[in-house]
Amino acid sequence: MPDPTVILAVDHLVKSFRIHHQKSNSLKQLIAGRGRNRYDDFLAVDDVTFDVHEGEVFGIIGQNGSGKSTLLKCMAGILQPNAGSVRVTRRMGALLELGAGFHPELSGRENVYLNAAILGMGRKEIALRFDEIVDFSGLHAFIDQPAKTYSSGMYVRLAFAVAINVDPQLLIVDEILAVGDVSFQRRCLEKFVEFRNEGRTIVLVTHDLGSVKSLCDRAIWLERGKAIDEGDPSDLVEAYTERMLGAEAPAADGSVRRGSGEIRITKVEMFVNGSAFAVKRCRTNDDVLLRLYYQAEKTMPQPVVGIEIQSLGGATVTAPNTRDVGMVPPTMWGSGAIDVSLSNVALLPGTYDIHTTVTDFNRALIYDHLREALRFDVMTGKPYETDGVVTMRPEWKLS
Amino acid sequence: MAHRNLLYLLSLKELRTRYKKSVLGWAWSLFNPLSQMLIFTVIFTYVFVAKPLAGDPSGLKNFPLYFLSGLLPWNFFSITTSVAMSNVQGGAGLIKKVAFPHEHLVFSVVAAQFVTLLIETAILVIALFVAGQNALPWLPVVLPLYALWALFTAGIALALSAFNVFFHDVQYLWTILSQMLFYVTPVIYFTDALPDVFVGRVLNNVANYGPTGSYIVAFHNLFYDGRWPTGWLLLQLAAMAVGIFALGMWIFGRLSPRFAEEM
Repeated sequence: MPDPTVILAVDHLVKSFRIHHQKSNSLKQLIAGRGRNRYDDFLAVDDVTFDVHEGEVFGIIGQNGSGKSTLLKCMAGILQPNAGSVRVTRRMGALLELGAGFHPELSGRENVYLNAAILGMGRKEIALRFDEIVDFSGLHAFIDQPAKTYSSGMYVRLAFAVAINVDPQLLIVDEILAVGDVSFQRRCLEKFVEFRNEGRTIVLVTHDLGSVKSLCDRAIWLERGKAIDEGDPSDLVEAYTERMLGAEAPAADGSVRRGSGEIRITKVEMFVNGSAFAVKRCRTNDDVLLRLYYQAEKTMPQPVVGIEIQSLGGATVTAPNTRDVGMVPPTMWGSGAIDVSLSNVALLPGTYDIHTTVTDFNRALIYDHLREALRFDVMTGKPYETDGVVTMRPEWKLS
Repeated sequence: MAHRNLLYLLSLKELRTRYKKSVLGWAWSLFNPLSQMLIFTVIFTYVFVAKPLAGDPSGLKNFPLYFLSGLLPWNFFSITTSVAMSNVQGGAGLIKKVAFPHEHLVFSVVAAQFVTLLIETAILVIALFVAGQNALPWLPVVLPLYALWALFTAGIALALSAFNVFFHDVQYLWTILSQMLFYVTPVIYFTDALPDVFVGRVLNNVANYGPTGSYIVAFHNLFYDGRWPTGWLLLQLAAMAVGIFALGMWIFGRLSPRFAEEM
């Protein structure tokens, strides 16, 4: 008896494509080439099985060409599987591309109606949600202008507003987080979180491993069409990055480097309370300056630099990056240094490691990840607490 | 329910976007058959001189009106089939990204062209009236017959546009075929005036009893002659419409699941 909480069941799904050595799209070629029309079958999805339960956020990770999109298209009913089945028991909405079917000559209003109908909504339903859609897009003033007058940002906003208002119980999303500006991405993300909190189910394909970790309850890892692992997203992402980047041998100082290497953090130095001498120790409440020396072999656009401070016990204390504060340089080239100043350090006595990362803007490609770039000790300062790793500078009052 | 809405909106899109950015807009859809009518009239009055046969029993003796009553439905057929093919082809972006019933890309063209046909027919009815032939009493027969013609056209359009996804030759082949079909359909000649030689007899049979010819004969009967098509003819037209439509749907249904990966 099927489990009633399973609302998407993918069962031994197989999808292959024919790779024609000579693509024949004309009758002549077909007739002339009959019998010697050579092709190979390419297995894009190879016997994949998994269930998605109601209220879950389910992630799919894998490299480009691992079959993620094909799998998604099979789930959405766009492609017919060669074998196996997909069973969906709730109203499904698939966001594979925003604004598919938008017509530039039609007005925003007309496009909203048409697009919503393409996504499967009835006329009354659209009329009911129309105001909400326009509100979300923020395009009140332009809704009766032809879509060709819209900027690409407006276009995407309207398209997302329609897609999200189709009100699916099961939402399938492909890489949508990669479009639009940062504020738009944040709004999309908020909407997904809202969806999740409402108990709806989301299947997410993304390169942004961070959002897989933070959003998903469970994930599957595809490689060459096969599901090679399934489970907790954090473990999966960890294993995935491990595999993708391949750890290099540890250096003499114990640091381990990974990444594609276009930009590297060569050294991290620590200065305390304005001193010019690099040290490896400080006290609680000191002003600490971390200097990250980098070397960029190629000009890389919009690199995001991040540090992670980890206690010896393995807990991440803090992990700031330049994207969060809107300090992403347009490009980075040559060599130089980046300073991170941390005033009144709240770390309690113990040993800590600093890891550094340099990624692309979407944090999908890791240029450099240096583990244990610097190990330092925190000595007793003020305030002092026996337990824990950071102090919140508590003020106690007996009453 | 939702899909009926989709069909409605897609058809509306066809109508709305067709003459965007043109000054004369919808008037263009009338100029096309009118200019054809004019050309044929000049050719057959002054170049290959022929006499229009009298409508029986209407007594109408008028080349332009005879041409128009066949041209309007013919143009509906030929434009719909070719536009449907490019509409399905042009829907690639949609087909690859969204799951929806693909046949609506064809139906929306049929519906939009049908609206055009109705408008043009209104003009024809007025012109006939001016020439002394009241076609209004025949409209209750014309409209269901138009519906059958649209069904027949949809069937052909479905099959063609499905094949065209796999082999783009289909659209070029169809340009030639539909031109040939035009000449074996009695749009610009009277079958009764065909010479009694072998080729003339063959043409006579194809024009009168061929699939497209028999529809046009019925429309001539109603508009130009002002009489009922024979019951046998009506039955044949209905059977053909249903049969061709079913065949087209079957072919389209078989092939459309593979559209997304072929495009």
